[in-house]
Amino acid sequence: MNYEIVIGIEIHCELKTKTKMFSSAPVSVNMQPNTCVNEIDLGHPGTLPSLNKEAVRLSLMACMALNCEIDPLIKFDRKNYYYSDLPKGFQITQQFYPIGKNGYIDIPTDNGIKHIRINRLHMEEDTAKQYHSGDETWIDFNRAGTPLVEIVSEADIRSAHEAMIYVEKLRNILVYLDVTDGKMEEGSLRCDINISLREVGTEAFGVKTEIKNLNSISNIEKAIQAEVIRQTELLESNQVVEQATRRYDDVQKTTILMRKKEGSIDYKYFPEPNITPVLIDSEWLKSIRDNLPELPNHREKRYMDAGLNAYDAGQLIQNKALSDFFDQLIKDTSYVKLAANWCLSDILANFSQKQLLDKSYDLKYTEMAQMINALGKQEISSKQAKDIFVELLKGKDYHLTVKSLNIEQVSDHSVLEKMVEEILNENEQSILDYHNGKDRALGFLMGQIMKKSKGQANPVITNQLLLDGLMKRKP
Amino acid sequence: MDIKSLIKSTSVEKRVEDAVNRSHSVQNALNAMVSFIDPKDQLEALGQLSKNLPFYGVPVILKDLVNMKDTRTTGSSGILDNYISPYDATITKKLKEAGAIIIGKSSCDTFGMGGTNMTAWTGPVHNPYDLSRMSGGSSGGSAVLVASGVVPMAIGTDTGDSIRKPASFNNIVGLKPTYGRISRYGVIPYASSLDHVGVFTRNVKDAALSLEVLSGRDDKDMTSSFHPVEKYSELLTGSLMGKKIGIIQNVVDSIKNPETLNQFNDLCHKLEEKGADIKLIHLNEDLMHAFLPTYYIIANAEATANHSNLDSLRFGVLKEGKTMDESMILSRTAGFGKLLKKRFVIGSYALFTENQEEVFRKAQKVRRLIVEDIKRVLDDVDVIMAPASSQGAPKFDDAATDLLSSEYLIAENYMALANFSGYPSITVPMGYVEGLPVGVNLTAYAFEETKLLDIAYGIECTTGIVDIIKEVTQ
Repeated sequence: MNYEIVIGIEIHCELKTKTKMFSSAPVSVNMQPNTCVNEIDLGHPGTLPSLNKEAVRLSLMACMALNCEIDPLIKFDRKNYYYSDLPKGFQITQQFYPIGKNGYIDIPTDNGIKHIRINRLHMEEDTAKQYHSGDETWIDFNRAGTPLVEIVSEADIRSAHEAMIYVEKLRNILVYLDVTDGKMEEGSLRCDINISLREVGTEAFGVKTEIKNLNSISNIEKAIQAEVIRQTELLESNQVVEQATRRYDDVQKTTILMRKKEGSIDYKYFPEPNITPVLIDSEWLKSIRDNLPELPNHREKRYMDAGLNAYDAGQLIQNKALSDFFDQLIKDTSYVKLAANWCLSDILANFSQKQLLDKSYDLKYTEMAQMINALGKQEISSKQAKDIFVELLKGKDYHLTVKSLNIEQVSDHSVLEKMVEEILNENEQSILDYHNGKDRALGFLMGQIMKKSKGQANPVITNQLLLDGLMKRKP
Repeated sequence: MDIKSLIKSTSVEKRVEDAVNRSHSVQNALNAMVSFIDPKDQLEALGQLSKNLPFYGVPVILKDLVNMKDTRTTGSSGILDNYISPYDATITKKLKEAGAIIIGKSSCDTFGMGGTNMTAWTGPVHNPYDLSRMSGGSSGGSAVLVASGVVPMAIGTDTGDSIRKPASFNNIVGLKPTYGRISRYGVIPYASSLDHVGVFTRNVKDAALSLEVLSGRDDKDMTSSFHPVEKYSELLTGSLMGKKIGIIQNVVDSIKNPETLNQFNDLCHKLEEKGADIKLIHLNEDLMHAFLPTYYIIANAEATANHSNLDSLRFGVLKEGKTMDESMILSRTAGFGKLLKKRFVIGSYALFTENQEEVFRKAQKVRRLIVEDIKRVLDDVDVIMAPASSQGAPKFDDAATDLLSSEYLIAENYMALANFSGYPSITVPMGYVEGLPVGVNLTAYAFEETKLLDIAYGIECTTGIVDIIKEVTQ
C-alpha cells in the first residue's frame, strides 16, 4: 500500500533575554546549577510574575518574520500539572490568546516552493532541567522561567526532508532575528515532531506518534525516516500504531518508546489572574517592525543581485555568522565573488563557528578587503594572497605585510619592459612556438618573467608588454 | 490613642516592650500568635531612620501569610510549618522603611481560606469579648491582637470579607482598599483575583495613616495600580453634610436579629441628623443569592492552582516517599487540613475541561454581572452601607446556621461584593448586640479611599466607639 506521511512540528525556542520571563533572575548561559534563580523561579509562596518586556519584543519580532497575525492584547494562562521540574505546579503560557497565529514560511522543495502554515506562536516559561543518575534525580532550576516561544506548524509537511528543511529554515530566521542562539545541541531550540501515515488519497489522519528530544537538524531527517519505516511495517502487518511519545536512538537508528498517551492529562487551563492583560502600544509595534533585522531570504536576494550565484549565496546565508563576516568584507571590496570564495573556504577553514559568532579573531575586515581588491586587480597572485592572508590572520595590516614579505608589485613600465626583453632574448624557440599557434608558450614566458621578478611583476601590465614584445618579433 | 499620639507620648523601647509583653500575656487566652519575632535587630536598624517616620518604632503584627526575610511564615498551615521566608514582601519592606517594628505573625485560617479562624494549624483564635466565641476569620489573629491592645495596627488580608468580618466581631476598624492599591507581592495567596491586603486599627485615622504607608505601585505586582497615593490621614474631616449613603436594603431585610436592626436604624438616624443623605438601594436579589457559590468557585479554582507550588520538594515539610511523585502526595496529604482539601477538590472540579464552561467560566460571567450591579447602585451614592454581620461573633460550637437561608447567603456573605469589584471597603464599630460588638460596613467606588475614610471617620465620631481596648484576663 502507498502511504502519505503527515508531519506537524512544534518548536520550543529559548529567547535571548538577559533575565527570565517573569522574574529578574539572569538567564543562565552554562552557569553553575542553581545559581541563576530567585524566589520567583523556585515558586516560593507569595511570589508573583512580572512580564519581561524584552521577551515580548523578541516574540513580536518572531511573529513578524513568520508572517503571523499579532494579537495586540497580551494575555497569559495557567497550565496546571504536578511535576518536579515545575516549581509552581503550573506553567504560565498563552493557551487561549497566542501572541501570533496564522503565519507561514516558504520552503524550497524538489517540486518548487512550498507554503508551510504556522498555526500559532505563543510565549511561555521553561521548566527546570532534570538529570537522572541511578536512583537519584538532580534538578537544576537555572532553566526554570527562561523565556520561550513555542511555534506550532500545521500538519503540512509531507517528508522527512521537508521537515528538516522547515526546521533549518525556521531556525535560520530566528537566528537572523537574533531572538535566540538556536543551538539544538544545547537545547535552546527543541523540536517535537508529530508524525502519522495515511493511505494516499484519504483525508482522515492516522494515529500519530510524537518524537521528542531531537538534538540536531540531521537527526530530524533520520528520526522521521526511521519512524516512517516503523509505522509502515506496523500498518503493513495489520497492527496498529499506538499514540505515544518516542525518542530517536542514534545508535540503534530507530525510535524508542518513552511513554504511552493513556488518557491525556487535563491541564485545566485558565486565565492567569496575576498578569493583567497588556495592550501593546501601536507605536512600539511599528518601531519593532521598522527595525526588523534583514532576514535570510532578503539577504540571499541581495547577494545574488550583487553578482553571486545561487549556490554561493545559499551557502553563505545558511551560516549567519559567516554571512555577517562577508557583509563586513564587501563594504570595502566590489569583488564579491572572490570575497565569497574566500569566506566559504579560507575563513571557514581558519575560524571555528564560536570564533565567528563571538568575532574573536584578530583579522581586520578592511585589510582582507584590500587583499581581495589586489587579487581582483591581479596586482598579486593567488599564491601571494595566501601568504599575505596568513599574516592578516595575525591582525597585521595589508600594506605592511606586503612590504615585509617583499612582494611589492613591480608596475614600472621601463623595468618590466627590460625584463620582458631579456626573457624573450633567452627563449627564441618559445617566440616561434607562440607564432605557430602554441598558446602554452605564452604561459611559459609569463612564468619565466614571474620567476625572474620573484613573483612581483604586475601580471596585467606584464602580460600586455609580453604580447607587445611578441608582436614586434613576429617572424 | 492613635499612632501619632502613641509616638509622641511613649518611648520606642517602652511601646515595643509593652507590645511584646502583651503579645505573650494574651497568648494563653487568645491563641492568636503563630510566631514571635525578636525586635532587637529592627530596633538597632531604627537608629538609621528619621524620627519623623509615620510608624517610627511602632509595634505591628503581620498576618502569617506575609513574608518577612529570615522569619517563619507558615500561612497557618502544616505544610509550611518549617518555612523560613527567603525574602521580604513589598509591604514588609514598606513597613520597615516607615519605622515599624514587626513583633510577630498572627494566626489565620490556613492560607486565608476560611471565615472562622478555626482551620488554623495552631488551633482556633478566641474572641477577647467572649473567649468561648470565635474571632472570625480569616485574619482572626490580627483582629484580636489589635482589639486586645497588643498592637495599634496589624496586617490582614481579605478575599471574601476576611478583614471586615473579624473587625466587626472585635470592635475595631478593618480596611480593605481598592484592588491594586497595596502590593500583594510576598503575601501568600488564597485567590489572586480576589485577594486584598489591608489593615486592622482601633480608629479610622490609623487606618488612613497605614494606607498611606502601604499603598503604591509595585513593579513586582503587575496588578498593582499607578493611581497616585493620597495623604489619606490628613484629608479626614468627619463631616457627613450632604454625603450620600446608600443602605443595602437586601442585607437589612435578611437580618433577623432585632437588636442589630435597632442599632443600625439608630445609626442611620444619627447620620441623617448630621446632614447625611440616606437612601435605600437594592441590589439584584438573584445575584446576591449567587454571591457565595460564585465566590467559592472562583476563589477555590484559583486557590487550587496557587497552592500547587506546595509540594515540599524545594521547601516545606517533606514526607519522603519512594519517588518524587509519592513524596509530593504524602507531603500534601499530611500538610493540608480537611477543609483545605475540600476546597482544592471543588476548585479542581470547576476547572476540569468538561466542567469549566459550565462552572468556572459561568462564575466569572456572574461575577461581571455582580460588578455591573454594584456599579449601578454606586452611581447614585457616595458609599453603600449595611451591618457587617447580622449579630456578634458566633460560639465555637455554633452549628445552627442554615446554609441556604437568606440571612446566611446575603447578610453573612454580601461583603464579598467588594472583592468581586475590587472596590474599597471598611468596617467600623457600630454598637453592641447582646453585649457583643457588631460593625457597620461601607463600600465606595474604586480608588475613592479618601471619601470612604472620611465617611467612616464621620461615623466613628457619631458612635463614639473609638480606640477601644478589650483587656483580656484569664
